[in-house]
Amino acid sequence: MLIAGIDTATVQVSFAVGGHEGVLASTQSCRARQHAEVLTPAIEFTCRQARIELDEISVVAVDLGPGLFTGLRVGVAAAKAMAHALNVPMIGVPSLDLLAFPVRFTSRLIVAAIDARRGELFYAFYRQVPGGIQRLSDHRVGSPDDLASELLAASEECLLVGDGAIRYREVFEGLKKTEIVEEGLAYPSASSLVMLAHARALREEWVKPWDLQPLYLRRPDAEINWVTRPPA
Amino acid sequence: MIVARTTSVAATRALAAALAELARPGDLILLAGDLGAGKTAFTQGFGAALGVTERITSPTFTLVNNYAGRLELNHLDVYRLDTLAEVLDLGVPEMLDDGGVTVIEWGDAVAPVLPADYLEIRLSFCEDLDDDRIVELAPIGTRWLARTRAVAAAVSPWLHEADAPDTTSEETPC
Repeated sequence: MLIAGIDTATVQVSFAVGGHEGVLASTQSCRARQHAEVLTPAIEFTCRQARIELDEISVVAVDLGPGLFTGLRVGVAAAKAMAHALNVPMIGVPSLDLLAFPVRFTSRLIVAAIDARRGELFYAFYRQVPGGIQRLSDHRVGSPDDLASELLAASEECLLVGDGAIRYREVFEGLKKTEIVEEGLAYPSASSLVMLAHARALREEWVKPWDLQPLYLRRPDAEINWVTRPPA
Repeated sequence: MIVARTTSVAATRALAAALAELARPGDLILLAGDLGAGKTAFTQGFGAALGVTERITSPTFTLVNNYAGRLELNHLDVYRLDTLAEVLDLGVPEMLDDGGVTVIEWGDAVAPVLPADYLEIRLSFCEDLDDDRIVELAPIGTRWLARTRAVAAAVSPWLHEADAPDTTSEETPC
């Protein structure tokens, strides 16, 4: 079973293919100006390097966010289109899970924090469990100070990972028992996505392309109050 | 609130160009006004003054058009949207963070989901004169409130007589 993983939830764009042997090939760039321009060539290049044809792919995995809207919609749309065209199921994994996964080899509390822009973070708490990680909280959105208060209240050894942690380093550096993971692991990656999706594919936890929805944390339900627009 | 009046599409563009001189990275401008009031014309004048050489067209169907200039210009139109969630999908906070200038047509209708830091510009028709437009400028939030005087100075060639302080009556005793 080969899995294609697409991750565009942050400024980084990444694509990976893999399965039970782990990740066969991956491409990532955090200097991409437009996610849409990079993603398709990355898919082509990565599959060629892995010596696989697209029709060998049996699951398309995608990072569901929370993340940056502009990137997220490119990745989710591309992943849905790919799954539709190949007629294969999908697996969606939250961005913060992907961020926490590579730093799981610790008994500390893992805090994944993505820069949500405009002075806010998306964050969640994790703990290592046999074979992976377990999320201990909902995905939250809040200011760096909100997260710092939660860390103070938790009062235990923490490992803080993500571009959000790095951007607001000065808020967290003063906290006791808190270590910030450096730049190399600051973004969720398609490699983690393929590995986490593989475990879920074995349990057949997939969704149909038309049922898959990105994770939006700041989503109001309201209609626009159109006073000026003429009725359609 | 600053009130100006333009007498042609060219004048609306010129007023917009004068305002563009005040633009800073991360600025947000909301354009209000009925169909045909000149929101796209405003953006054309604004963009040209930012150094955009590409032709600026209405983003009604594309939702977001992006232009390179001295500052990057993001030109949005939310006219076709029905829910506030769709507005969030456009990712306005990210555009602001990335340092361009963002102009949103019909932006007044979706202000609840935008950062409360913008210049609202309302273009309205004059009853009697087809080509005339009343241009009301309202700075909201610290970024634009700090530039209120500069905004008034920029649009001073078009300031509306009725709105200007009446200084003549006392100073003409003869």
